[in-house]
Amino acid sequence: MDGTGKGGAMIEIAGLEVVFASRGDRVRAVDGIELAVAEREAFGLVGESGSGKSTVLRALCGLAPVSGGRATIAGLPPPRRRDPAFARRVQMVFQDPFSSLHPRHTIDRTLAEPLVIHRLGDRRERDRQVEAALTDVGLDPGFRFRYPHQLSGGQRQRVAVARALMLEPQVLLLDEPTSALDASVQAEVLNLLSRLRRERGLTFLMVSHDFAVIDHMCDRVAVMQGGRIVETLDHAALARRQVREDYTRRLLEASSAHAPLALQEEGGA
Amino acid sequence: MANVLPSPWRAWLTSRSPRSRRQAWLGQLYLGWLALLRNPLALLGLAIVLALVLAAAAAPLLASQDPLAQSLPDRLLPPGSPGHWLGTDEFGRDLWSRVVHGARVTLYIVLLVVVTAPVFGLAVGTAAGYFGGLVDVVLMRLTDVFLAFPRLILALAFVAALGPGIENAVLAIALTAWPPYARVARAETLTVVRSDYIAAAQLQGAGSLRIITGHVMPLCLSSVIVRITLDMAGIILVAAGLGFLGLGAQPPLPEWGLMISSGRKFLFDQWWVATVPGLAIFVVSLGFNLLGDGLRDVLDPRSAGR
Repeated sequence: MDGTGKGGAMIEIAGLEVVFASRGDRVRAVDGIELAVAEREAFGLVGESGSGKSTVLRALCGLAPVSGGRATIAGLPPPRRRDPAFARRVQMVFQDPFSSLHPRHTIDRTLAEPLVIHRLGDRRERDRQVEAALTDVGLDPGFRFRYPHQLSGGQRQRVAVARALMLEPQVLLLDEPTSALDASVQAEVLNLLSRLRRERGLTFLMVSHDFAVIDHMCDRVAVMQGGRIVETLDHAALARRQVREDYTRRLLEASSAHAPLALQEEGGA
Repeated sequence: MANVLPSPWRAWLTSRSPRSRRQAWLGQLYLGWLALLRNPLALLGLAIVLALVLAAAAAPLLASQDPLAQSLPDRLLPPGSPGHWLGTDEFGRDLWSRVVHGARVTLYIVLLVVVTAPVFGLAVGTAAGYFGGLVDVVLMRLTDVFLAFPRLILALAFVAALGPGIENAVLAIALTAWPPYARVARAETLTVVRSDYIAAAQLQGAGSLRIITGHVMPLCLSSVIVRITLDMAGIILVAAGLGFLGLGAQPPLPEWGLMISSGRKFLFDQWWVATVPGLAIFVVSLGFNLLGDGLRDVLDPRSAGR
């Protein structure tokens, strides 16, 4: 219906390079990666810290510089300055819910702000949407006028998810959305994300260092090392542990070493 | 001490689930107030500041005489004289009445400076911190130029250029008072500008103006408010200094610095003429400083929990 890429891909990355330069020091964080994510697909990026996986997400939405190659979402390049059209297509959920919500804004203000920026609805309509958004992510409307410091980590991340969905985007970029949370809360938030993706037909690009999380959420996964993709696996191959690279095998072993998450479909929300 | 409010109000203010924006905001304010109550020195400072405001508001009622009425037979009466409990100055004007009316002048100067200098400094500092690069360099070097001059000297130069008078004194003080606010605001901005909630606001399509005023400024505000209260003493002193040098308020206006200046001639024989307004300056400056210290404990985001 709208400018998705030619091959039906929602997210297309071709030869993407991200180089951070500071005082003569050049760090090649992303070194030429190719990636295509279909509409409504959930795609995972996995790798150690420093492998450049988060930088890919930040480059896609204009928070990191694109030094070479191409990266588009729904045909749109990363916005260089403010870009309302991009904001309504693509939103991001950040890793740490303790730093992704403004400490002096009530939940109400945080959730209503995207609507105010895009001049959607009048005050009454916005009030209704904020309450609906809270209910949708499994929070009581009584949370509406609290400040972030009055919420737990899991509740904050639910608010962050609700904020990302206020503009009804098609694509959600998830930057380790559960790594700052306790194991039990992780499962709740992941189940919430799975449900929302099903209900709204969202496309996910999710970054994690944890194969268990990726396995639960994603249809396909790319393994990153040193700014490059070393291997791409689909869900079935991952389940059978059919991996080609030693690096992937080591990551898999590291992930299964700590207790597997008690992830059930649609668990306690 | 904390249980001064009837309990239904307190329950409403401390509710975990406020039902409106105003209730949430007032609740935060109430918690800040409770924190301030735990600091007796800050309360003393607050009491002094409130006393200043009251004295200024009710000056005609508190004053026993007309502050400008001269009476040569009553000149230089010592404190405790009938009708003049703080004594009189060289024109026989009642010192108590002049000090009380002087509170108006002082408060007027302080308020005018407060609504100009910090606002300007905040705007400059947040813009410099948020945009960075060339904007930052230009704005902060400009700030450095203003900071390079001692405050009173720069104010003197401005007043000399603009002409003496209370409005020009305010203008000169405001022009010399903004750079520290710009510095503070820029430092605060730099600590928050890379944070995820700013990135989130950018991703939502918020413009720079909205982010600076709605997201960055509220976080700088507490440092700036603390800085203002601590700065008040300095502002009062510069205003008094300008008055003392004859460049601020002009006679016969009952301005404290001007009163000290005229009392200087009699300091050895009639000490009270200069001492009474001097004590007023001292007490009010102390009050603002105590309040500022207390507010820093309450408002500083680093000392408060997350």
